[in-house]
Amino acid sequence: MKRITLLIITALAAMLAFSAGLVAASDDGYPDYDIIYTEPVVGVVFSHTFHVEEAGMDCDSCHDGVFEMEAQAAQAQPDYNMLALSEGRYCGVCHDGDTAFDSNSRCASCHIGVIGYNRANGIEEAAHGGH
Amino acid sequence: MNKMKLKLDKLINEGVENLSVEERRGFLKMGLVVTGVFAGGSLLSVTSNVDKAFASANQFAEKYPYKPHYSMIMHIDRCIDCELCKAACAETNKVPNYGFRTQILERPIPDGIDQKREFLPVLCNHCNVAQCTRVCPTKATYKNQQNGIVMMDTSKCIGCLSCQLACPYNARYFNEEKWAVDKCNFCFDTRLSKGEKLTACSDACPAGVRVFGDLSNQRDRVYKEVHTVSRTVWVLRPEAGTKPNVFYTRG
Amino acid sequence: MASSSRISGMTLNALESALVGRLKTGSNAYYLSLSICAMLLFAGSVAGLQATIGGHHVFYGVTRQVSWGVLISTYIFFVVTSTGLCLVSSIGHIFGSKTFLPIAKRACFLSICTLLAGFFVIAAEIKVPIRMMVYNIISPNLTSNIWWMGTLYGVALGLMIVEFICLQINAHKVAIVAGFITVIAEIAANSNLAGVFGLLNGREFWHGPYLPIFFITSAVMVGSAALIFFCILAQKINGGEMAPEMKTCLSACRKVAILMICVILFFTIWRTVSTLAGMPNGQYVGVMAMLTGDYALSFWGGEILMTLIAPLVLFILSGGKRMRMMLVASALMVFGAFFMRYNMVIVGQVIPVYHDLGVTGSTELLKYFPTLNEIVVVLGGFGLVGFLFLQGEKIFNGHKVEEH
Repeated sequence: MKRITLLIITALAAMLAFSAGLVAASDDGYPDYDIIYTEPVVGVVFSHTFHVEEAGMDCDSCHDGVFEMEAQAAQAQPDYNMLALSEGRYCGVCHDGDTAFDSNSRCASCHIGVIGYNRANGIEEAAHGGH
Repeated sequence: MNKMKLKLDKLINEGVENLSVEERRGFLKMGLVVTGVFAGGSLLSVTSNVDKAFASANQFAEKYPYKPHYSMIMHIDRCIDCELCKAACAETNKVPNYGFRTQILERPIPDGIDQKREFLPVLCNHCNVAQCTRVCPTKATYKNQQNGIVMMDTSKCIGCLSCQLACPYNARYFNEEKWAVDKCNFCFDTRLSKGEKLTACSDACPAGVRVFGDLSNQRDRVYKEVHTVSRTVWVLRPEAGTKPNVFYTRG
Repeated sequence: MASSSRISGMTLNALESALVGRLKTGSNAYYLSLSICAMLLFAGSVAGLQATIGGHHVFYGVTRQVSWGVLISTYIFFVVTSTGLCLVSSIGHIFGSKTFLPIAKRACFLSICTLLAGFFVIAAEIKVPIRMMVYNIISPNLTSNIWWMGTLYGVALGLMIVEFICLQINAHKVAIVAGFITVIAEIAANSNLAGVFGLLNGREFWHGPYLPIFFITSAVMVGSAALIFFCILAQKINGGEMAPEMKTCLSACRKVAILMICVILFFTIWRTVSTLAGMPNGQYVGVMAMLTGDYALSFWGGEILMTLIAPLVLFILSGGKRMRMMLVASALMVFGAFFMRYNMVIVGQVIPVYHDLGVTGSTELLKYFPTLNEIVVVLGGFGLVGFLFLQGEKIFNGHKVEEH
């Protein structure tokens, strides 16, 4: 229950931030909400909090060499897909099975899917449980 | 009674170091069963139990009840819940937004080490011992005698919904436009009968989760995977005894 | 003209004036009850029609997974009561126990009424009733419990009408034959109704031989209570002193009811204990929902207190003589049995089919609550029984039974 509440709060915060055209940032300067990609498939999560606090990475580990500062900018690129990752681009720079787990494994650790996306955005699925 | 008690008291603890190799192996097997439960659904150990999924062991070994015996094996570790399958199904089969023929379930695994969740695609299991077809009062739902697909004759459906209750997989819903219960038929009318080899969902899956095929064909991938001894294959809700034709595996 | 059409030695004109005369003898309370019942029946018909035309998904609270709601449980309530009435009355006029003879006609009539009420409610629940009438006949599925149940109850209804007519015109031999076949049809129909639920392997809450045994036992229990209830009410409608034979009969019905309450209590206790001990998947959550969860009030209040404990105590205290106490006891049981059926039908469905997989949305029980339309249809069913019962008492002159 706590997790769901947390997720909903995070989602609301994220929506607020997007609608205002702002990027909410924590004290250290990185967004404290989950970024959820919707292209090329819905529901791929990236957490700054995890990558900075747990994995001990710095801003310049990724920015601006691998990812632009603007959130979700990468998904506008036509080559932002699993093939690119396996060829060592985007997340695949680290997720090569060496530095971090291979992007070709543990699919559902990043993919939270439509279910996860809807939950984060507080969307009740019409067909869920109903009818 | 007293004598018995005395004898028991005098018994020496044998300790685990005296266990034979066979006994230890037995314990390991028990461990596997526990893992199976953890993995979501009981294990269907292919080596010894796969015949349980069929009408009889003979049918399994030599002859399948149906030709082709349509079947699907889900590689669930590849499922990312993008739901492109669901969208393709809805478009191909005109599934209204209040219903679904296939669905992705999410199983949270908070204590998972590598990942915290897993997705399970579900659809009609086209069971060999289908309960929906047994309970239908008017034979509006029936098993196709050639290919084993559980089909609907919408003109006969009275809407009693007993098939919905009988289904252990939540595969059926009432379609208000058709005035009949609607369900997955492996895209028989929309694709297979028109020469397509795959169902819409399996065609649309970008991750190769849904492998559709013919279980009666020894060269088919479904046949090979279900019959590979080292591969762990299971079915959902085996206790319902419906002998489903949708299998689950990882890797 | 009039002399050519004679029924039981009466001309049609004479019959008509006799019936009108009988209908005019009611008290104000009688006419008030009659009009309330008629209004309920009318409202129920409108609500059912509205849902059938406008769509069940709009007007009923049922969902994809809880696809059978209060209408199915009400159907079960009525038809199981019908079976019970039929069985209790058969003790007298089929199997020859003279004690049970005074209720024979009324029980037969009420059994028809409750069965009709069951059909009334199920007609509002079946989504495409027109197809049912056609394909039940031209495309029967003999492995389907629901087909057998519907067909056998249909046969039972026809036979009971024959039986009732024969009882009216004193054709007792035909009545007994028809009655005997009816008993068999009713028992078979009742157990097939239980089989609709009990044979579903994938629904652990229902699966097993328990339900058919439970259904037939509770049918006799509710049937005997319903007879006590309606006979005492009829006494109040028709006025006068209750005949001593009727008193003896109701006292015997009370004994049947007490015995059956004990059997059902025994079943309920052991079902609960066995579930708590073994915690079988699917069953355990259902039983816990009734013991401590969302269905606790309906279970403890409706099923245990109203249907079993309170009637048991009152029936014993009444000694078979205090009619007011017996009326209260039987009323409690008849209306309590409604909750007994509701719990059985709904709790079996609110356990999601993927409950044991631990998937999101399936770890908790599903929700169902009847909508206004559903409740009005249910009331319409009660209205139908009440209306026919009240009319029947007048038209058939208190269902008096002559010695034969």
